[in-house]
Amino acid sequence: MDFELSSDQKLLLTSLEGLLDPFRSPPIGGHRYVEYSVELQAELIKSGFLDVASESGYGLLDAALLVEEIASCPVSVEVAASTLISPLIGGFGSPIALSWGVDRPARYLKQAKIVCLFRHDGVLVGTPAPDELDPIESVVAYPLATLRAVPSDAVHYTGNIAATIRRRALIGIAAEAAGVMRGALQLTVQYVKDRQQFGHPLGDFQAIQHRLAEDAQLIHACRTLAFRAAYEDDDRHAAVACLYAQEAIRKIIYDCHQFSGAMGLTLEYPLHLWTYRLKYLQGEAGGKARQGQLLAQEVWRPQAAADGRQAYA
Amino acid sequence: MEFGWTEAQQAVRGKVCSFLDAHLPSRWEQMACLSPGSEAVTNFSKSFCPSLAEAGLLIPHWPAEYGGADASTWEHFIIGEQMWEAGEPRGPQYYNVNWIGPTIMKFGAPEQKELHLNRMRQGDVIWCQGFSEPSGGSDLAALRTRAERKDDRYLINGSKIWTSYARLAEFCFLLARTSSERRAISVFLLPMDRPGITVRPIQSVVGDGDLHEVFFDDVEVHESERLGPEGGGWEVVRYALNFERIGIPRYALALRTLHRSVAALIRDDGFSEAVQGAAASAYAACEAARLLVYEVVDQRARSSPSTGITSMARYAIVTAERGVADFVLDWTPHLFASDEDPMVATHHKRAIAAGIAVGAAEIQLNLIARDMLGLGASRGL
Ligand SMILES: Cc1cc2nc3c(=O)[nH]c(=O)nc-3n(C[C@H](O)[C@H](O)[C@H](O)COP(=O)(O)OP(=O)(O)OC[C@H]3O[C@@H](n4cnc5c(N)ncnc54)[C@H](O)[C@@H]3O)c2cc1C
Repeated sequence: MDFELSSDQKLLLTSLEGLLDPFRSPPIGGHRYVEYSVELQAELIKSGFLDVASESGYGLLDAALLVEEIASCPVSVEVAASTLISPLIGGFGSPIALSWGVDRPARYLKQAKIVCLFRHDGVLVGTPAPDELDPIESVVAYPLATLRAVPSDAVHYTGNIAATIRRRALIGIAAEAAGVMRGALQLTVQYVKDRQQFGHPLGDFQAIQHRLAEDAQLIHACRTLAFRAAYEDDDRHAAVACLYAQEAIRKIIYDCHQFSGAMGLTLEYPLHLWTYRLKYLQGEAGGKARQGQLLAQEVWRPQAAADGRQAYA
Repeated sequence: MEFGWTEAQQAVRGKVCSFLDAHLPSRWEQMACLSPGSEAVTNFSKSFCPSLAEAGLLIPHWPAEYGGADASTWEHFIIGEQMWEAGEPRGPQYYNVNWIGPTIMKFGAPEQKELHLNRMRQGDVIWCQGFSEPSGGSDLAALRTRAERKDDRYLINGSKIWTSYARLAEFCFLLARTSSERRAISVFLLPMDRPGITVRPIQSVVGDGDLHEVFFDDVEVHESERLGPEGGGWEVVRYALNFERIGIPRYALALRTLHRSVAALIRDDGFSEAVQGAAASAYAACEAARLLVYEVVDQRARSSPSTGITSMARYAIVTAERGVADFVLDWTPHLFASDEDPMVATHHKRAIAAGIAVGAAEIQLNLIARDMLGLGASRGL
């Protein structure tokens, strides 16, 4: 166990910093529901950051660190699937869209080089054809579209690879949600320090402090659980991380909006660029109900050891 | 950053588990249910801890010069985690090994070390912690018990409350005021058989032996029984609490209880999808608490100063305890209301205090808000 970043991990994140700097602040005068950044997506591809999991000396944990860090910015770019899933399907390019069903809204379909379509019998991986897509206009802060049909060139993955793709999707959701939540909380904490009512900054009131402190604890745990899931790369840790994140999201969204008052509901104020990504992530991959079942099956299969003692290996 | 166990760490865990298998009596679970401060567990601890010491598992983390093996913080922690999961067969003696012993090593005079550390490493001495008072709970600095100097002695007058293990303790790690100035507090290593001490058990829902009132009526202590300088009590307490920052690994017993409850549901064909979801949420809350605690252990192992992560870990533990206790009440209420599974009862009695003892949950939130979020200090810090 070592909770400090290694020198390689620090180097990775420091070199990412320069690239992310211009995207840390919300675009001025954006007033848009979605801030998909073509530039950042291209930079990430060009600089090789998205290939980190396949580089020697690096792995999935490092990929998850990147996913979390990039997600904390107020722009949406596709990182999770490109770093965590791409190595499994031969790295055909980036972005990669994940779709949980034909006719269901999915992120990045229009921008994607590849789509992974999850089905009960495995995962279909193919090229989304532009004329088979219907873009969606919505309040969600991710670019969304639906797939009208299965891509004609789709390869059908089953068994272990399909299970691994699915698991990595959960790890990606957990790491991404942790980063988005962190960004949302950071903005909100700054807001309650700046905004004065009753002669004090809002952040002096204990009722507000306690909820934000609970949020900080939840988010810290989300990050660490996501990193551990990436490190272990097994179904149990992936389900724990994703479940915990999808449960935390609802409270983080509610509190961040609540303490930002009416300002937080405007497009002028950037909070929605985080919270309306979270709203999408909350139900992704079946949401907490699905993750809960997955986890229960992992932990209590075939049934709990009768004396309740745990394995720590 | 990495999350693996070393082989040595796994070996320690294996050794502790085998030790527990070999040394816990068949009716241990019924006994554990009586709480660590009960007469039965306290007495049991006086034979269990000497065997633990013989196996090198009582104080391996103490320095060799005090009879330990200079083992790592992690080794010490793994032992504590397994002990708590088992229902804490060390009884009240976990105090001694975790923080009273190490605090005496730091501040004790040679004779104090000789007397107390020897007893602790033998594994048969019981201590209690006399901090809280009717006037000083979360606001410990409001304590009123006085130690008035008379030449080379002090006369102690006042009272303590909620003092766990007091009735069967041989010594008390006592905080008392040595002048009227709010922060002028000193620590005494007080034998509990001194004339003038009265202990009254308080009946409670947390089990026997966990709550007492202790009254001091002109109790004499010699200055050689003071730990650290007069008026220097806060420094001693801060040092002691720094050991306590890891706290009790409560999620370990919580998880065990959750497994018991689920096993009962599976047996009765009641582990439906809805129940699975609820069980998974409680499980995830325990895992979150576990990882945050591990981060605190890691900080302590590096001798880094305590950060807001400590408060986060404590708050996550409270959430996990509540998650499991609620799961049991929601889905296996019969296990709560009966003595069918003593470990479920054990957990419930201990979990109920999680958000109160050793710094209330709200105090942890105050600290997170101040130390991690940089928000203005709320009252009570
Ligand atoms: C099982 C058990 C064993 C114990 N064993 C010992 C022992 O061995 N030795 C010992 O010295 N003490 C012991 N204690 C006492 C424990 O340390 C105190 O209960 C604790 O410090 C809280 O003090 P209090 O109970 O007086 O609560 P109070 O300080 O009266 O607080 C009550 C509640 O008010 C809220 N609160 C208090 N302050 C604030 C604030 N600033 N901001 C927001 N909310 C606040 C919290 O919710 C708190 O739980 C034990 C307690 C329990 C439950």
